[in-house]
Amino acid sequence: MLKQFTSTFIGIGIFIAAITFFSAVYIVDETKQVFVTQFGDIISGPHNGPGKDEAGLYFRIPFITKVHEFEKRYLEWDGDPNEVTTKDKRFIYIDTYARWRIVDAEMFYKNLQDENSAKLRLNDILDGAARNVVAANDLKEVIRSHQRESIVADDQVLDGESQLVTFEQGRSKLAQLVMEDANKNVPQFGIKLLDFRFKRINYHEDVQKTIFERMISERSRISSRFRSEGAGEAAKILGTQQRELKEITSKAYLEKQQIMGEADAKAVAIYAEAFDQSTEAREFYEFLKTMETMETTLSKEDTLIFSTDSDFFRYLKRSAPTKE
Amino acid sequence: MNKLILGGVGVVLVGMGLMSSFYKVNPGEHAIVLTMGRYIGKPITEEGLKFNWPFGIDRVTKVNIAEVRPAVFGFDKATGRPRTTAHRETSQIVTGDLNIASVEWSTQYRVDKAYEYLFKVRSAVETFRDMNEAVMREVVGDRTINEVLTVGRTEIQQEVKEKLQALADQYELGIRLTQVILKDVNPPVSVKQSWNDVNQAQQEKSSMINKAEAEKNMIIPKAKGEAERTIEDARGYAIERENNAQGDADLFKQVFSAYQKAPEVTRKRIYLETIGKVLATQQRDDGKGGFVVEQGPRKIIMDEDAKGMLPLLNLNQGAK
Repeated sequence: MLKQFTSTFIGIGIFIAAITFFSAVYIVDETKQVFVTQFGDIISGPHNGPGKDEAGLYFRIPFITKVHEFEKRYLEWDGDPNEVTTKDKRFIYIDTYARWRIVDAEMFYKNLQDENSAKLRLNDILDGAARNVVAANDLKEVIRSHQRESIVADDQVLDGESQLVTFEQGRSKLAQLVMEDANKNVPQFGIKLLDFRFKRINYHEDVQKTIFERMISERSRISSRFRSEGAGEAAKILGTQQRELKEITSKAYLEKQQIMGEADAKAVAIYAEAFDQSTEAREFYEFLKTMETMETTLSKEDTLIFSTDSDFFRYLKRSAPTKE
Repeated sequence: MNKLILGGVGVVLVGMGLMSSFYKVNPGEHAIVLTMGRYIGKPITEEGLKFNWPFGIDRVTKVNIAEVRPAVFGFDKATGRPRTTAHRETSQIVTGDLNIASVEWSTQYRVDKAYEYLFKVRSAVETFRDMNEAVMREVVGDRTINEVLTVGRTEIQQEVKEKLQALADQYELGIRLTQVILKDVNPPVSVKQSWNDVNQAQQEKSSMINKAEAEKNMIIPKAKGEAERTIEDARGYAIERENNAQGDADLFKQVFSAYQKAPEVTRKRIYLETIGKVLATQQRDDGKGGFVVEQGPRKIIMDEDAKGMLPLLNLNQGAK
């Protein structure tokens, strides 16, 4: 009986000892920063804060102390899309994100308690700062980042096509401004912002329509330019064709005339040389030619009237030789 | 009885202890071991069976560092098409010339520093998505829509990859980008038609030019050939003309020199022969291998003493 009681007491003793032991140790994880409070006052820590490498096993007074854990890693803040009107009166949505971190767990705990309220606070601060900065600038300042010239084939560019314009600050600079502005307000919460960026910038639905219309009209200008260029160049080619054609035919005509003229001249010279050698030759040629012509010019339609006095019909009348 | 229970509990404890004392690192995996929540200093990179302290004293997290992980933007991974408003919003980007382009892209990365990936950033995947959107918009925001749609693609991919990697390094995400791929880059749907029309106009332009060029190519060589022909014809004429002249001249010279030997008789003979031919009813070659009979001219022969007959003849009869 007594023996049984003893072993029961030992059992309970071990149990209590175990609970006490596990209540007296706690583990600080690589990803956490921790402090311990006793009746609301911080009595130990923060341990393993940013920049410190203090993860591991820790002891505390059991039962009456409480361990508070906070994230040590970089945290994300994803803003909701915000309607903003830029300085040049463009109605846009901006969607932003930021990275932040709990740098002072004590202040974070005192002022915000948890990440949820931190998120709400960041919403106020960052959205406000972003609105202010965007509203004070033209749209191009939020869109552009680096000054550069567009690289596009010359035949693709139309006069009046929208081009890259120069800007003053640019997206990164504005984001920087937002972050600097916000960072003035967050240290009191034990928070540090590490980066802030514009994620999306979109036109408001109402504006979108006008943008689309502008894009369409710009494109149709380019289309008509291509078409008229095509017609123009085709006409030019056909013009060249006409010119070449005339050049070719006229040159051929010129050469033809020259060749023929030369030949005619030569022929004339040859004839002259033969027929003009003496008075007798000239006369004979005349005679021959006349005879020849006679052969070809007279037909049955013609009526010839001869006298018997003529050379040919002389013997029609008499057969005696002509007296000289 | 008690001893049996104690023994049983002991066996179970030892068994559990043994089981939780070993873990396996597979190929392509790095293991991060936390002892009492504390990182031991370097990842376990060699594969094989490893020992660790049991009962949760050591906690092991394994990260696949070989796997290429994709992140897609503006379209559905399964269908490859934008399906939801969220997809469309993701892909819609304002370009540097303040137009709108729809850009779909995917990014592939590997985890290369397991410790950073696990312990530096809480929501690495979401952070990476946000970074993607911000960087893509930054890069596209510096280009005209024309560039984005045409020549700028490769450059954009390259620049996004570099900037994204730099940002990932800055954020200590522990990842290495393998690829940034621009998928469909389009003008917004309602503008697309006009964009296609530009392409069509461009094609029409070159086809108009080609057509004119073709017509020219068809006509000019033909004209050149015809010109050659004209010239050759002229040359032929020249040769013929000269030869004929020479022939005529030579003939004349020969006839003339023969004539000179007996001018009187020859002259008479030629005269009579010719008149004979002229007055004769003659047959002429019709050029087709046959003959045409031609009547010679009408002849009226009058005695030289019968003067005054002429008015009696109706000479108008034969005149045209």
